[in-house]
Amino acid sequence: MTHVNALGRRCPLPIIMIAKAVSSCPSGEVLTLSSDDPATWPDLQAWGRLTGKVVKQLEATRFEITA
Amino acid sequence: MGSVTGNFTSESPLHPAARAVFLDAIDKGWADPAKLHNSSRELDHLLNESKALFADRLGVEPAALSFLGEASLGHFLAISGLNRALPAPRLFFPSTSRQEVLEVVGSHTGASALGVDLDGAFSIPDGSKEDLLVLQTVNGETGAISPDPSEFIGRIFVDATASPLQPPPQNWSVALWDSRSWNGPAGLGILAIRDVGGWVNPLPHLDHRVVPGGFNPALAIASAVALDAFVKDFVANEAATRRFNEMIRRFITDEIGEVDIASPDTARAEFLSFSFLYVDALQLVDMMNRRGFAIDSGSACTSAALEPSHVLAAMGRLTHGNVRIRLHSSIAESEIHALLKALKECVEELRH
Repeated sequence: MTHVNALGRRCPLPIIMIAKAVSSCPSGEVLTLSSDDPATWPDLQAWGRLTGKVVKQLEATRFEITA
Repeated sequence: MGSVTGNFTSESPLHPAARAVFLDAIDKGWADPAKLHNSSRELDHLLNESKALFADRLGVEPAALSFLGEASLGHFLAISGLNRALPAPRLFFPSTSRQEVLEVVGSHTGASALGVDLDGAFSIPDGSKEDLLVLQTVNGETGAISPDPSEFIGRIFVDATASPLQPPPQNWSVALWDSRSWNGPAGLGILAIRDVGGWVNPLPHLDHRVVPGGFNPALAIASAVALDAFVKDFVANEAATRRFNEMIRRFITDEIGEVDIASPDTARAEFLSFSFLYVDALQLVDMMNRRGFAIDSGSACTSAALEPSHVLAAMGRLTHGNVRIRLHSSIAESEIHALLKALKECVEELRH
């Protein structure tokens, strides 16, 4: 499973990092993202809505994304 | 730096007519309007004229109005004053309320946030006569207009601090305006209490006055002139403002792309909030400034607390890459074209 570590990075970097990772994965693959930026969860949900990706919050700073 | 300078922030210079009145009012505004001397009576007369103008333009009775030296204090006075007059009210507020409202309601038991949808819309709750609803007429970030609360039978605090152009609902109890929202001088709020029997002063107080006093009469007199000019300018330019709003929406969608427009189509046309995917708003604001364009942003990187806009987050909108545009009546079409050209170039550079 691809993991993107964006801990310590501020917006919009976590979303840019996960978008890059997703673009190089086959459709349907599951990725995880670690981020402690307070904007990540609201932005990840908005990004999922805009790009048609499914996103989930696993823990406060850990998220799951289906490419 | 570019040759064009465009101000698209929420602030604007004082209207020339209001500035002239302000300078004159400083000379006349030194007396205590409550005293009986000629200078006091003259000032009292000027303040009453201003109050009548405010009342007419804001759609309330002059006797209900009080001037407030700090507009943000009005949120506390309104909510806590209504709350004190009710035995144990439930307090409802949309999650997109102003930060000042969130700070005040946070200390009240029985406070419930009303969830909003992608357009910032929410349902008016079923309340009893002993409940309290906090309602903003217009959201200060997106321009979204709140639903009509006529079915709500409890008391309503109307936060009208974002715009004087949207009248309070018919069943308002207490309302608050901020002079800055009509490009009047800062440092003046206007609090209206419809029924003083339904409001209990939450601050230590010596007499019947509902506000602590301490406002600057010159600001109040100048602000009334600014409001009058603001409303007239708005009416004269309303169609152009709506057209500019639609032009911007089309351009950022078709020519720039990957943008999340937070302001619903039904929002007030002077307000526009949108977010560009994969763009750092701090850099965007700075690049636009260097090109001569002043814009606002609700993104975390542009806030002192490094927190994203709670309004955008509550709506489920993208919080990074956010741009907030205010379409002042004085803005010309050529400025819109120049703004859009600069936005496209900056966003492309930042995404590169």
